[in-house]
Amino acid sequence: MNGHDTNDLILQTITKVTSFIILLFSFHLFLAGHNNPGGGFIGGLMTSSAIVLLLLAYDLKTVRQALPINFIYVAAAGLLIAILTGVGSFLFNVPFLSHSFGYFQLPILGKTELATAVLFDIGVYLVVVGITMTIIQTIGEKE
Amino acid sequence: MAYQILLNVLLACCWMFLIDTYSGTSFFIGYVLGILCLLIMRRFFSERLYLMKAWAIVKLLIIFIKEVIIANISVLKTILSPKSNYKPGIFAFRTELRNEWEITVLSSMITLTPGTLVIDISDDRSILYIHAMDIDDAEKAIHDIRVSFELGIMEVSR
Repeated sequence: MNGHDTNDLILQTITKVTSFIILLFSFHLFLAGHNNPGGGFIGGLMTSSAIVLLLLAYDLKTVRQALPINFIYVAAAGLLIAILTGVGSFLFNVPFLSHSFGYFQLPILGKTELATAVLFDIGVYLVVVGITMTIIQTIGEKE
Repeated sequence: MAYQILLNVLLACCWMFLIDTYSGTSFFIGYVLGILCLLIMRRFFSERLYLMKAWAIVKLLIIFIKEVIIANISVLKTILSPKSNYKPGIFAFRTELRNEWEITVLSSMITLTPGTLVIDISDDRSILYIHAMDIDDAEKAIHDIRVSFELGIMEVSR
């Protein structure tokens, strides 16, 4: 990543903590998307920014070993999930991509609102993470 | 230290189970009683009590805030003086700290006190290269400050 030989001790130590906070915040943004600002897109970008911070502090090879994920597959899985949520609406004889929500009594959480839009959001989230990381890793490899 | 905190939290949870009320208040009471238990049993731990460490962290923060205020005033004096006769320079500071967290906290504190700035760390993590705004009269005083920071950090990690 960086051509000069420096001791990146401070950056790496701080990164070990801040990446956790950024990841948690990205999950918060993802889950807040229904009633507050946020959602799959911004959550995905935030997750990729945590990984980009890791890439800046360490190098491409280290992050590859730590996260052995092919991000193209992540994007493909996200698209598949988004399409399947649309196809799932055919099971209930409603138009394509119709979404519904309901309130359920869950064992620990109590009364919870569950929406099928969250599943679509998971698809968006995975696509954004996959595409962003693919772009950045591809550019980073072309030394 | 982390083990003792975990034990204390577990004791607080046990207390909540014992009195059968689950609220923040009962957790707090259980936590205080857990501290009491830890105090009684403190000879059985290999490390010192984590409350001492927490107190050391508070002391380090107080020292740090004091140093920030003093350094700000001295930098302000330098800036507002009509004759600019200060000499910036870079000096090496040999540190005793080895742990990466200790070095990170020390260099952050040095950077956050105005007038000094950590530029680089040597490869073997033994020397910090520090840029000082006024190297002439400051170097001795700065070394004293560093020793106070370093001793405070050592106090925490002992």
